[in-house]
Amino acid sequence: MIVEIIVAMISVLAFGVSFHIPKSEYLYCALNGGIGWAVYRISLNCGFGPTASALWAALVLTLAARVLSAVRKMPSTVFLIAGIFSLVPGSGIYYTSYYIIMNELSRGSAKGIETFKVAGAIVLGIIFGLALPQNWFNYLGRITEKGQKGRRKIRPDVQEKENFSDD
Amino acid sequence: MSKSKLILDLAVSMGEELLKNGAEIYRVQETVEHVMEAYGAEEYNVFVLTNGIFATIHENREDAGSIVRNVPIGSVNLKKIAVINQISREICQGSCSIQEAKKRLEQCRKTSVMPKRALIPACGIGSAGFCYLLGGHPFDSLFSFFLGMLLQWFLLVAEERHVSKFLTDILGSAMVTILGLVLYVLGLNIQFDRVIIGGIILLMPGVALVTAIRDLFNGDYLSGGIRLMDALLTGMCIAIGVGAAIKTFQLLGGGTLPL
Repeated sequence: MIVEIIVAMISVLAFGVSFHIPKSEYLYCALNGGIGWAVYRISLNCGFGPTASALWAALVLTLAARVLSAVRKMPSTVFLIAGIFSLVPGSGIYYTSYYIIMNELSRGSAKGIETFKVAGAIVLGIIFGLALPQNWFNYLGRITEKGQKGRRKIRPDVQEKENFSDD
Repeated sequence: MSKSKLILDLAVSMGEELLKNGAEIYRVQETVEHVMEAYGAEEYNVFVLTNGIFATIHENREDAGSIVRNVPIGSVNLKKIAVINQISREICQGSCSIQEAKKRLEQCRKTSVMPKRALIPACGIGSAGFCYLLGGHPFDSLFSFFLGMLLQWFLLVAEERHVSKFLTDILGSAMVTILGLVLYVLGLNIQFDRVIIGGIILLMPGVALVTAIRDLFNGDYLSGGIRLMDALLTGMCIAIGVGAAIKTFQLLGGGTLPL
């Protein structure tokens, strides 16, 4: 499984390059991808189905992306998009069309529904992750900033207004 | 140009660049508003959709201005989003003049793109990695690597020639599927399904899906709907491409191929 996580980090990083992630964030995006895949695998091993596992992974990923965004002062999209890429049900789309073409309609529709379920689970995971108030993450960003003296307090994300008119 | 028009132009240009490179609606909207406010605009209105920005400034005054921009959905470039976010942050702190911001925006527009020679191997590595993650053997990953590189090259060429997005998706996935099946039919001992899935993973609408959800849950239903539709149609196009290629092989082989 360790190997898988490392492979996941490398591939997430590789696709990060395709989406032009800033060079300074490569490591963190890869980390986020690794976290996502690790949660997914652990959850599968614990006996959750692929749908529930995708939900957990998306949730943890989103939270990690928001923490990283607060700490690194980057839009959270940067980490979220890179991380979520490893969960997108690519094989689902392939097998659905494969079975339908092969005229195995029952298997095709089962795969199709499963693909939708996984996509929906990812959606739910992201929503739960985004639902937490931004202040908690700002607080984290401020803690990490304390070490760096002389730096101005800056907003981690365009989202929060108060923090930003503060300075 | 009066000052209000300069402000409006800068703010909307920044918003346009954000939107074009795949930022969420609320980020575009707030960036435009923050920039206008930071430069002292007193009265402004901004309305952002997935493929357009509408903005007015000082509607009831002498120096009124308005801008409508049509912004086609483009490819994702997270670096530009990060850079513009930084510019807007500095503008709001008051440490960046209009001219300077304009210059930096122009610079960001030109420079923040990865060279092709980096993109193509990156996509290959990513494809190989996902092929392995989805149950492929390292030997399968090797072929996914080449298919991924080929696909990225194809996408770049298609982008240069302005081929429609749907056609690109269908042709790209069909191309990868055909090559994967050819390798299999030639007698290589590969799990062709894993190789193909690894190869087409770049086309998957993951980014569109994430952005769609973020838009929907920020209350931008129309924009989120547009992106969601985009994601669904892309998924369908991939399925059509893959399906057509497999069907063709099935017919060519007259049912004798062990697909």
